[in-house]
Amino acid sequence: MVIDLDKCVGCQACTVACKVENDVPHGSPEEQKWRREIYWNKVIAVTNGKYPRVNTELIPMPCLHCDRAPCVPVCPAKATYRREDGIIMQDYRRCIGCKYCIVACPYGARSFNYKEQEEKPYHRQDLPPDRSVWGPWPFPSRTHGVVEKCTFCFHRIDQGIKEGKKIGKEVVPACVEECPANARFFGDLDDTHSEVSRLLSSRGWLRLREELGTQSKVYYLLK
Amino acid sequence: MSLTFTSMEGKSRGFYILVAILAGLTVLGFIGFMISYIEGHQTLGTSNIIPWGMTIIIAIYLIGLSAGLHILAFLIHILGRKEWKPVIRMAVFLAIVLIFGAMLSIALDIGRPEKAWRLFMFFYLNNMTSMFAMNAIFYSCYFVAASIYLMTLFADREKLSKIMGMVAFCWAMLTHGGTGLIFGLIVAREPWFSSLRPFEFIMAALTSSLALLVVVIVVTFKFTQRQARNELVVSLGKLVAGFLCGLLLLIWVGELIHGYIPHNAGSAFMLAGPFSGLFWIFQVILGEVIPLFILFHPRFGKKVKGVVTASILIVVGVFFERFYLVIAGLAYPLSYFPGKIEGIYGAVGFFPMTPVESVISVGLFAFMGFLFIMGLKNLQLLPAEEGPEGTPDQKAI
Repeated sequence: MVIDLDKCVGCQACTVACKVENDVPHGSPEEQKWRREIYWNKVIAVTNGKYPRVNTELIPMPCLHCDRAPCVPVCPAKATYRREDGIIMQDYRRCIGCKYCIVACPYGARSFNYKEQEEKPYHRQDLPPDRSVWGPWPFPSRTHGVVEKCTFCFHRIDQGIKEGKKIGKEVVPACVEECPANARFFGDLDDTHSEVSRLLSSRGWLRLREELGTQSKVYYLLK
Repeated sequence: MSLTFTSMEGKSRGFYILVAILAGLTVLGFIGFMISYIEGHQTLGTSNIIPWGMTIIIAIYLIGLSAGLHILAFLIHILGRKEWKPVIRMAVFLAIVLIFGAMLSIALDIGRPEKAWRLFMFFYLNNMTSMFAMNAIFYSCYFVAASIYLMTLFADREKLSKIMGMVAFCWAMLTHGGTGLIFGLIVAREPWFSSLRPFEFIMAALTSSLALLVVVIVVTFKFTQRQARNELVVSLGKLVAGFLCGLLLLIWVGELIHGYIPHNAGSAFMLAGPFSGLFWIFQVILGEVIPLFILFHPRFGKKVKGVVTASILIVVGVFFERFYLVIAGLAYPLSYFPGKIEGIYGAVGFFPMTPVESVISVGLFAFMGFLFIMGLKNLQLLPAEEGPEGTPDQKAI
């Protein structure tokens, strides 16, 4: 995924789109205060400088799906794993809720279910799970005591591949689709002809906390 | 020289009251756990910023207390220091109770305790690169090794207990080193990431567990009207002082290495951040400096009262060390992007102690106390009235 910081206006449409698409609990001001709200995608504001010379950067942060993800080796129950296409998945059936992955994630991308949520299904009702596949789906419902995170809307990708659609053009994650400023791009980084590869070769970019060597798969195009 | 052991009589009124209180607190703790299990972890003080709370702190603390006790086995069997033999059974039993409490504490901590069996599906359903999975092996094998060691002690099999004592000692060090690695391997948390962490944990284990042993010896001997020999306690105190110096050294070397420019933000947070009062007052001054002063003092260091006071301070101080490591280490805000992160994502974490969490914590300790005195009553753990050489006891405590 490529996010253009020059285009992002910080409208949080990606956060809302993610909550709707994945049925992420809405949370409440109380939970926000206790820092127990679940976000699969968040937008942080980073300020540099002093008034009147202030610059605020808005950084949308989904799970960065690192190539060398620190959350994968620490999971004792094989609940967090890396799919062949690079998406870091969370298997809620296996998760025992030890929260080691939350501790290990350098980006705060993971959230824990601190209570029994009202939003039970993990995805939209109109996208029925494929029960023939023994994967992270079908999940009966969300329970408290397990960790969850952004999945790059893998259900859309899997469905799209099955229907022979072009990933990155016809099928994109909800946050990419809903971005009003077209600041997000999704595609295959290995494919040299993809839009994301073209953008990365034409603009300066950075990855968050590069010094940790996580090789995250979300690139930010600089202003 | 033969040593005889006996069990505690346990018929006095005070004993029954103590048992009732501990059992009551255990039940309360269990109720607290059931509330947290049914209602979710919202009843605890943890959040997405500080995901680990009291149960993890207590777990690593107890593992330390347990692991360090096996240094006695090393001293007795390898170095031939027979003078500590009268307390070895009690020490090993205490170690077993503590590691059991630690495993229980971990089970109470996880979000879905009914899936805890997954931790023990070695190489099959669990991921062996995880320190949690490896520690599941360490803890359970340690529990078994210590139990076998205690059995050999009960059977008075000198040679066998020497072997098992060594196995248990080495495994104890491995166990607590592994516990330190849970924290030391996390590159994302600057205050934790350190190769010294396992050694620091081992040193803290040796210090705190011997200090606990001093307290337990003095208290149980007093309540069972036994006469503890002065020099036994004082020599344990000397050992504690030595280990405490090592612990101080490791802590300071660790902080100094990480305090050097430029990668010193994490260390600066630990030494001078918003929670640093805990570190300086409870860990350094109360837990380390004052006990060292007492133990090396020419007069106080030779008195049982002095050693016991220092030991209590150390036991509490090491608890605060663990508390500070976990809570402050997690509260340190992650710097996703250079600059000042506005709002909740850049704020320092906070950890409120909720009633449910407090009850669970107290219940855990009460349960271990309950198990320990039940062991004293039903197993032959205490040395028989007379001192090992049959000498008259010098000083009654």
